[in-house]
Amino acid sequence: MSSADPLFEGARLIVTAGAGGVGKTTTAAALALEAARAGKKTAVLTIDPARRLANALGLETFHGQAQRVDGPFELWAMMLDMRTTADSMVRRFAPDAEAARRILENPYYGAFSTSLAGTQEYMAVEQVHALLASGTYDLVVLDTPPAVHALDFLTAPERILGALDNRAVNWLYRPRDETERRSPGYGARLLGRGRQVVLRSLDKFTGGPFFEDLATFLQAFSALFEAFRQSSRAVQALLRAESTRFLVVTAPYPGTVREAVAFRGELVTRGFPFAGFVCNRVHGARPEADASTLAAALGLGVPRAFAEQLAVALAEHGRLAARDAVGLGALLGIDEHPVRVVPLLAEDVHDLRGLAEVGSHLMKNFSSADTSNSP
Amino acid sequence: MSDAPSSKVLNGPLYDRRFVLVTGKGGVGKSTVSALLASHAAARGRRTLVCELNAVERIPALFGRGPVGPKVTALRENLWGVNIQPAQALEEYAQMKLRVRAVARLVFDNPFVQRFMQLVPGMNDLLLLGKAFNHEREVDASGRPVWDTIIVDAPATGHGVTFFRLPRVIRDHVPVGNMHDEARDMWNLLTDPTRTATHLVTLPEELPVQETRELAHTLFSKDMGLPPGALWLNQVPPPIFDADSRARIGAGPPADASPALNAAFEVARMRLGREAQAQAYLAPLRALGLPLLTLPLLYTRDLGPAELETLLARVGDGGPT
Repeated sequence: MSSADPLFEGARLIVTAGAGGVGKTTTAAALALEAARAGKKTAVLTIDPARRLANALGLETFHGQAQRVDGPFELWAMMLDMRTTADSMVRRFAPDAEAARRILENPYYGAFSTSLAGTQEYMAVEQVHALLASGTYDLVVLDTPPAVHALDFLTAPERILGALDNRAVNWLYRPRDETERRSPGYGARLLGRGRQVVLRSLDKFTGGPFFEDLATFLQAFSALFEAFRQSSRAVQALLRAESTRFLVVTAPYPGTVREAVAFRGELVTRGFPFAGFVCNRVHGARPEADASTLAAALGLGVPRAFAEQLAVALAEHGRLAARDAVGLGALLGIDEHPVRVVPLLAEDVHDLRGLAEVGSHLMKNFSSADTSNSP
Repeated sequence: MSDAPSSKVLNGPLYDRRFVLVTGKGGVGKSTVSALLASHAAARGRRTLVCELNAVERIPALFGRGPVGPKVTALRENLWGVNIQPAQALEEYAQMKLRVRAVARLVFDNPFVQRFMQLVPGMNDLLLLGKAFNHEREVDASGRPVWDTIIVDAPATGHGVTFFRLPRVIRDHVPVGNMHDEARDMWNLLTDPTRTATHLVTLPEELPVQETRELAHTLFSKDMGLPPGALWLNQVPPPIFDADSRARIGAGPPADASPALNAAFEVARMRLGREAQAQAYLAPLRALGLPLLTLPLLYTRDLGPAELETLLARVGDGGPT
């Protein structure tokens, strides 16, 4: 049943993306489990150190090394290790060991490799690229960081490369006085003077040669630039490949759905292969009944209070179901891709069985808001 | 206006802090709690500013308003809102520091400088926090502070820890000058227990609770030393079943039950599961030793001004028993 799902046909990379708190990590793990059970050698790369999810897979915790999940399938789980991925990139791209050492020991490097906006996203895709290139796995499922500005994830490589551009580095890096002396023409002198004013103002602003230190680091880093650019192109190509599927994960709340729809629009506009929405935590429609009806159905000998309390639970569920139907309705009919609906479950996923339950919902291709057969 | 909240925590010493930060995992209701705190302060007559930081705006909608953008905008009596943007913050700051507008332009309109600004780790965050910080020391013509209370809807966890550490990192790594002084003053504000409090928001679910525990240990540790605010447990399902009903639900529906009755039992079982889960998370949250506040899960379609009032009236101390 699962193997027939078009999501897995010819797929090498599945990306789960979306806002925070909508169940991306659980969705990624459940999909990976389904793929593995359908016979694919699968790796899931998570961003969240989700301990209970790790436990659900029978693991103590997630970490940088791939760990095999125990079961009659081939499934590995690992967590993004930014520093290790960044270090190995530097070693791989540096022209020699000395150049690599200069970068790895630079105090700016630590901050660059782990806290620069967009680096986490970049490193995640870089790691996936390495995983797929190794040929070890048929399929990689990538969980992404919560996107406040969802596009950061997709534009990070371009932004980082733009800032690392050699011209920019050289402009800042050239010692000031030398620039002045060497500038022959009037235009160049004017440019040089402008640059001096800018640099002096920046010094005043930052209180020291902060930017020049940064430029020194970037100068060292620029030795890697060409290799970095090539890798970035490969990564961009991978994200747009036909074998890649983007799933936008959302909850059915109106605001969250609006953001998910906008995100899907950006993906499509930029040529990323969108493969459908996953809508988690949906309250499915239930038959309506008031307290009297329920009391009658319960029969004699059952306290009226019980019927009244049941009616409250049913009515409150009904209000959330009505809300969720609106959210879900906004996702349906946007394009030909199915909306995968996972109902709100009674408790958090804490074992492989729970994960398989989420998986079975994901693999049911709902194309309408009918979720009445959910548990 | 509905009833004022009776919460002792909400009206206690925390209420006097001027600079209030709200953080937590994505999707837990940080904006809701920020709006609640802002609404509460404004209703008691304090001139209040609620800041979102380069966000997809959520707070103005909770007051029935459209997005406000980077300009401080009145939301209701005594209450203003703003969505701070890094570009505007930088321009304002540069003009303040470099005095001459033309020089500021020359520096910050330079495409190379702009690229580098993007590359400086944490630069955007520093600008956002710096702008909120500037509101804290803003004074009117008579020298009186413009704002009695400033609420900052801070970035989500993960990113959040880096965000809060930033002023200290800069203070320690940039030895002298404007940026050092700013960062030092910012860090002093963040760690000042007479002016500042950091609230945490979470949900009665596995991941949010786990992250909140880690976040509390990090932010309020000796090392970081941020003065803690309250811990908000949001979306707690209010209990509806008595002991007799719970037993009946456990026994399951009669064999010949109608579809409606079966559905009622099933919904009730799920509700009990969610209630039990919320209760189970209270112990590990209480163990953090922070003042604990609860907000009920509202069974409504939207979250707007009316729901905000309801929530404010139903803020609970210490959680359901």
